[in-house]
Amino acid sequence: MTDALDVSTLNDDQRDALVRLMVTLADSKRLMGIRYSDWTLGAPSIETGVSMASMTQDEWGHARLLYAMLKTLDIDPAPFEYERSGDRFASLSALDNEPSDWAAVVALMVLADGALSTMLRSFAQGTLEQARRRVPKMLAEEQYHMSMGFAWYRRLADSGGESRRLLAVATEDMLPGLVAWVGADDAAARNMVAIGVLDSAEDRLALYRDEVREVVALVGVDIDTVLGTSVWDEVRGRAVGRPDEEACERARGDRNRALLVE
Amino acid sequence: MSGGRDLWSAPLGEVPGDKVEVIWEVLQEVLDPEIPISLPELGLIYDVAYEEGVARIDLTFTATACPCMDFIREDITDRLLSEHWIDRVELVEVWDPPWTSDRITMEGREKLKKMGVSA
Repeated sequence: MTDALDVSTLNDDQRDALVRLMVTLADSKRLMGIRYSDWTLGAPSIETGVSMASMTQDEWGHARLLYAMLKTLDIDPAPFEYERSGDRFASLSALDNEPSDWAAVVALMVLADGALSTMLRSFAQGTLEQARRRVPKMLAEEQYHMSMGFAWYRRLADSGGESRRLLAVATEDMLPGLVAWVGADDAAARNMVAIGVLDSAEDRLALYRDEVREVVALVGVDIDTVLGTSVWDEVRGRAVGRPDEEACERARGDRNRALLVE
Repeated sequence: MSGGRDLWSAPLGEVPGDKVEVIWEVLQEVLDPEIPISLPELGLIYDVAYEEGVARIDLTFTATACPCMDFIREDITDRLLSEHWIDRVELVEVWDPPWTSDRITMEGREKLKKMGVSA
């Protein structure tokens, strides 16, 4: 393993890029938890709903640990967690809107949660000591999300008809933003590669494609021909857009602001 | 107050010789709030240190969003601070190595087995 990164040696651009990475991961985890939680009582079976509740819990646990990583850079995570407007959220574009149906939730589990795990695996193997120590536990918990997601994806794809069609629609809708995010190669992303925090964009994207190639082919999608979206926001490190306002209010905990005890 | 306090005994009357060893013994009285086996038996305590009145405990949790985190922190702190030779408790949250059920001790497994829980 390579030497640990000394964050005190980072220049401003590298430091900003590391903040962007931590925040996009943390925001995505928090939004993912919200999207999962909405299906706790709307999943196809009680058992599946219980799984959604458990996965929600995991996602918010991961978000908490990832926001807390900002302390590594002597940054208070509270303003990021509780004070940003929706247009500053850096979560994955696939999480911007509530999934319209169960097929879209399943696509989120495999494609968006999978994209997060691809990035986290790279992060865990990189030079940031905090990531090396914290992320493996998150990835261990994510294994169960992937097992469930892949099982449901195959089930819907194999059932044909409307289920397969909806899954294909959700897959085609989400992938350009996710491919752009995993394979980001803008200045900030290149900074992360230069200081060893992440693998190269090509390597990350190759891993992601390997992960999902077989299942998306079940709905007629060739992952190797999917291009990343060109409408890219370099400041936030995600596709242009923002989560819906209600999700942002829930992510910030606006309703319970007066009760905040942290 | 959580069920993690069901086995608490009275504090020691005197200052122990091997304080680290005694801290481990004291932590055996602090139970997981959801499963009545101790935190060391569950494998959540990674390290213990003591220096000049400060007890430092390296601990982990079974899950990143364990709902009992605050109960566990509070139970450890309150039990240790009941000892007059401990002035302050420093809890260090660690995630490396990640907790898995492999960390449950043999004693913990036996207790769980008696409760009908496999680990």
